[in-house]
Amino acid sequence: MTDSAVSHSLLVSRPTRLSRFLVASVVGHIALLLAAVLYARLASGPKVDLDARPIKASLVRLGKPRDPKLLPRKEQLPPPPKHVDAPKPPPDAPAPAPTKAAVAVPIPGVKPEPSTAPKPTPQKGETTGEDRRKRLFGAFDKTARAAEPEEAEGAEDGDPDGDSATAEGERYFGLLQSQVRRHYNVADTIPESERLRLNTIVAVRLGRTGEVLDVSLSKPSGNDLFDSAVVTAVRKAAPFSPPPEHLRETLQKHGVNLSFRPNAL
Amino acid sequence: MKALLLSLLLLPLVALAQAPTIEISGANFRPLPVAVPAPVAQNEGGRKLAPGFDTAFGFDLAASGIMQVLDRKSFTADPKEGMTAGSINFSRWADVGAEALVKVSLAQDGGVLRGELRLFNVATGREDLKVAKDAPADNAELLAHRLADALYRHFTQEPSPFLSRIAYVVKGGNNRDVYVADWDGGNARALTKGGINILPALSPDGSQVAFTTYRKGRPDIFAQKPGGDARAVVSEGQMATGASYSPDGKRIAYSLAEGESAQIHVANADGSGARALTDTPYGLNTSPTWSPDGKRIAFVSNRGGSPQIYVMNADGTGVRRLTFQGNYNQTPDWSPRGDLIVFTARDERNAFDLFTINVDTGKVTRLTQDQGSNEEPAFSPNGRLVLFTSNRNGGSQLFVMTSEGNNQLPLRAAKGFLQTPDWAPLAQAE
Repeated sequence: MTDSAVSHSLLVSRPTRLSRFLVASVVGHIALLLAAVLYARLASGPKVDLDARPIKASLVRLGKPRDPKLLPRKEQLPPPPKHVDAPKPPPDAPAPAPTKAAVAVPIPGVKPEPSTAPKPTPQKGETTGEDRRKRLFGAFDKTARAAEPEEAEGAEDGDPDGDSATAEGERYFGLLQSQVRRHYNVADTIPESERLRLNTIVAVRLGRTGEVLDVSLSKPSGNDLFDSAVVTAVRKAAPFSPPPEHLRETLQKHGVNLSFRPNAL
Repeated sequence: MKALLLSLLLLPLVALAQAPTIEISGANFRPLPVAVPAPVAQNEGGRKLAPGFDTAFGFDLAASGIMQVLDRKSFTADPKEGMTAGSINFSRWADVGAEALVKVSLAQDGGVLRGELRLFNVATGREDLKVAKDAPADNAELLAHRLADALYRHFTQEPSPFLSRIAYVVKGGNNRDVYVADWDGGNARALTKGGINILPALSPDGSQVAFTTYRKGRPDIFAQKPGGDARAVVSEGQMATGASYSPDGKRIAYSLAEGESAQIHVANADGSGARALTDTPYGLNTSPTWSPDGKRIAFVSNRGGSPQIYVMNADGTGVRRLTFQGNYNQTPDWSPRGDLIVFTARDERNAFDLFTINVDTGKVTRLTQDQGSNEEPAFSPNGRLVLFTSNRNGGSQLFVMTSEGNNQLPLRAAKGFLQTPDWAPLAQAE
């Protein structure tokens, strides 16, 4: 009877599966926490010196162009980027506040709406709105047309060393050219008179993945230093980008001729 | 260098065995990486003289501006490797970045030091040059300059500056003396002994030096041959300074002060037949330098308010102002190549630095910057290098650099407080 009462009492804890799980879980978490604390203590991380002065880094603002009366300095700053004013947004740009739009876009010849009006109503109906849009887009077009030479600034997938604004001929050959050019280093010992006439043609065959299969001098210049410099340039530039499908066979079978001249054309 | 102009040219596929051709031009020019292992001594005499030879030879190549001498510590080749192509492991030299390999052997034969130089192309393993020279055994440096000159000529097909001579002033106590030395400052000999002797100018054939001396209390121009006696060229109580020989050596230009002005004069090399080329009352005209064809003279004048470089015909006509940048431009020296004049200028930070100006285009290029004061430039006989004074390491030292301002090195053997260098060709006996 007594045993039964004890066994049925709610005050007495009994080892159930849930309580065992809870105990194991709590012990496990504590162990993990301890392990983490111990690891953090034992593992030697870089000591942070809170007294150390932080290094302040800031980019120098692009200053005014140097006074032409002053003597030049070495490593001149790059010329300032061409300033192109952003065209004004058209009046029907998404979600402009009606009153603000009227103020923000002053159009000569078009009277602004009375300030009391909650919504701009075109005085001459739809045609006026159309005119206004045309005028604005016309101005935009003019800006765009005027800036055309500057806008041709290369392609999104262009090469950082590329100097052409547009792709001429086969884009892949342009890529080859820029890859070789990066390693096109020639000794200063070559006299200036020779620099004018030297020309070496190197034949290169490329594999499917752009690997160099074969490099040979198909027309040596007569100057060993120049010849070895251009062959080195090709070898250092390898491997090249994988050729496009339509060029693979040509590049593998016949290769490509790289015609080197020391001076800029 | 960076201004590369490349064009892509796709020839018809049939034309060249169906292989397209790409044109690549506009190379990056850089000094040739050269490996120069220590010279191989063939006998005991050669071994003794090798260090002196080696230092002078290494400096010639390093200061030439066209070669980059690689650090010997990086070499992996066998130090006992032979002198012939067959015995050289070229891959070892290629591994350390060498494109050319220079091997020298030395042997003393009585009073003569003989040297043999071989130049190899590391990529092809071919011997490109084999040359033998000799020099008196007490002048291993001369052999170094001769072999370095042969190497330089092989590459550039023009004479090197290594066999030329320089003159400069050494300040000691209250004295200023004129010295003449090899191009690297070696074998220096004092030309004057005591007193104030400044602004030396070597005659084009190197036979004599004109300089300004205060031996009579006022500045006069004297000329002297090494080992000879000084003789007055422009004297008689006039304030004459800064002589400059014409390229043919027959005339001198100098500045003559009278009252508050100084005018450029030209006379025969012996001082006869002098006449004034400039006539600016209250203006100072100084520091004349001749164009290599002898038809024009550049000089400094303050006629516009501040010292600037001017150019005129050698008869004094056609004066035109050359520099318009900076407000204190002085000590011009005309390049033997004709295109550039190098000069000292004070910039807006009050630093003295060296610049070149292209005589035709007026383009000014800065050569030195942010390294102390750099002054008194002089072109090498081939116009490729510029000698100048700098206080960047304290005192006043002689430095050499390329005419583009690269590779600035202190002269190997010139010691002391040195001023106003001049550089003239003096081909020593081969």
